[in-house]
Amino acid sequence: MDILQIFVNGIVLGALYACIAVGFSLVWGVLNVINMLHGSFIILGGYLTFFAWFYLGLNPILVLPAVALLLYILGFALQYLFINKVVTAPVLTTLTLTFGLDMILYNLMTVYFTATPRRVTLDLGSIDLAGIVMPVDRLLGMGLALLLTALLYLVMRGSTIGRAIVAVRMDRQAAALMGIRVNRIYAVTFGIGALMAGAAGAVFAMVFPVTTNLTGVFLGKAFVICVIGGLGSVPGALVGGLALGVIESFAGFYLGPQHAITVGFLLMLILLVVRPTGLVGVKGYE
Amino acid sequence: MPEPFLEIRGLQSGYGDVQVLWDISIAVQRGEIACIVGSNGAGKTTLLRTISGLLPPRGGSIRLAGAEIGGLDPDQVLSRGVAHVPEGRRLFKGLSVQDNLLLGAYLRRDKAEIAKDLDFVYDLFPILKERQGQDATTMSGGEQQMCAIGRGIMSRPELLMIDELSLGLAPRLVERLSAALLEINRTGLTILLVEQDVMTAFEIARHAFVIETGQVSMAGTTEKLGGDPKIREAYMGM
Repeated sequence: MDILQIFVNGIVLGALYACIAVGFSLVWGVLNVINMLHGSFIILGGYLTFFAWFYLGLNPILVLPAVALLLYILGFALQYLFINKVVTAPVLTTLTLTFGLDMILYNLMTVYFTATPRRVTLDLGSIDLAGIVMPVDRLLGMGLALLLTALLYLVMRGSTIGRAIVAVRMDRQAAALMGIRVNRIYAVTFGIGALMAGAAGAVFAMVFPVTTNLTGVFLGKAFVICVIGGLGSVPGALVGGLALGVIESFAGFYLGPQHAITVGFLLMLILLVVRPTGLVGVKGYE
Repeated sequence: MPEPFLEIRGLQSGYGDVQVLWDISIAVQRGEIACIVGSNGAGKTTLLRTISGLLPPRGGSIRLAGAEIGGLDPDQVLSRGVAHVPEGRRLFKGLSVQDNLLLGAYLRRDKAEIAKDLDFVYDLFPILKERQGQDATTMSGGEQQMCAIGRGIMSRPELLMIDELSLGLAPRLVERLSAALLEINRTGLTILLVEQDVMTAFEIARHAFVIETGQVSMAGTTEKLGGDPKIREAYMGM
């Protein structure tokens, strides 16, 4: 396999990674909450998309917005009812709470949906472009992932709610003086984080099999990507995701797939020492 | 005397175990500029924070045009027409000047009128228009204060409270800001100014309240208080 092919594989994977991490990064950056539920949100999105496709025969791309909306409602409710009560507590408290909520969600999914790996099979074939072969469903997944990431970026930059989220992140009290109801913005932000996770899960299920056994893996990847790219910004998650995708692709080829994840974490450790703000750095928001 | 626009009676407030305000009573008439002066730690900022709903009052009443607003949430106080320009500007980092100004209008839905008020702010402070795309926190202190005042105006309040207008600014800039406040006041906006710099405050305000250790120690017209030897000695260094 030539280097260009490995690189393209990495970019495609990286786009999906960016989409996985961007919601996690937003929640961490704005709420200072490390959301342990994130991996389960992704799998829930993937499972729901699979069920809608398998049992109801619906087109997964059309299902995606509905799944995203459902996850938004779930995320908003969890933040509003539970996490808001302790959101100003030290990060360990919120981490413990989301860990507990994750145990509930994870086990509910395993009991009622089982951990069977599931995948939406689109059978779109593959294309060959100057020797680089790529399955069309993966390209579609990459396109959707980039589209979703871009949408979030636009919402954060250009909308009133995006401005309010940034304002709350930067100065909670000054934001309150603008008439922003801070707890509501927290719930909206957590909802958007869940929405992005659910949408990413829907996209993932079209490309790779998803199972509840992967919740921890996804959570770990989101974590690594945030550290690599820099916290709380869409471009940071994009750069971090693409970087991790390419690194895993090369490491998988040269060292064997079992070492791909190790290399990702190793890189995270090095960055934590050398450049703790990540590649893009913490500069305001986005 | 007509009924005051803002009337505070017997207000008590504080943080945790520390009571800061003891029985504060002040009255501000509609359309005037009033000021609250006093030394550091006297409780001026706590008073504004209690009015705007960042702190819950522990006793007493805060009435705006006859209606009680004490204990309301900040968004409710703002929607009743009270805007608070906090000490130290507190502009949002990472957001442009224009985005900061638009956040002032967060609760409003009247897009056309928001655009009009934005033009008003840009006319008042032309430098902000020049810098509208720049990160607001990268501007000079004076420009940031202009932006913070503009952000307060963008909610189209009836009462604008400004905490420490002059803090850390050169005299020339303070004059410029004072002139702008007088201009805003001419549009009918009531202004409550909190200042450590008594000279500046007395130049533009009609009524003044002196706060010492959480209580109003003196009140009256700035004309009268400005001639009081005690005030001149304690706050004006004369």
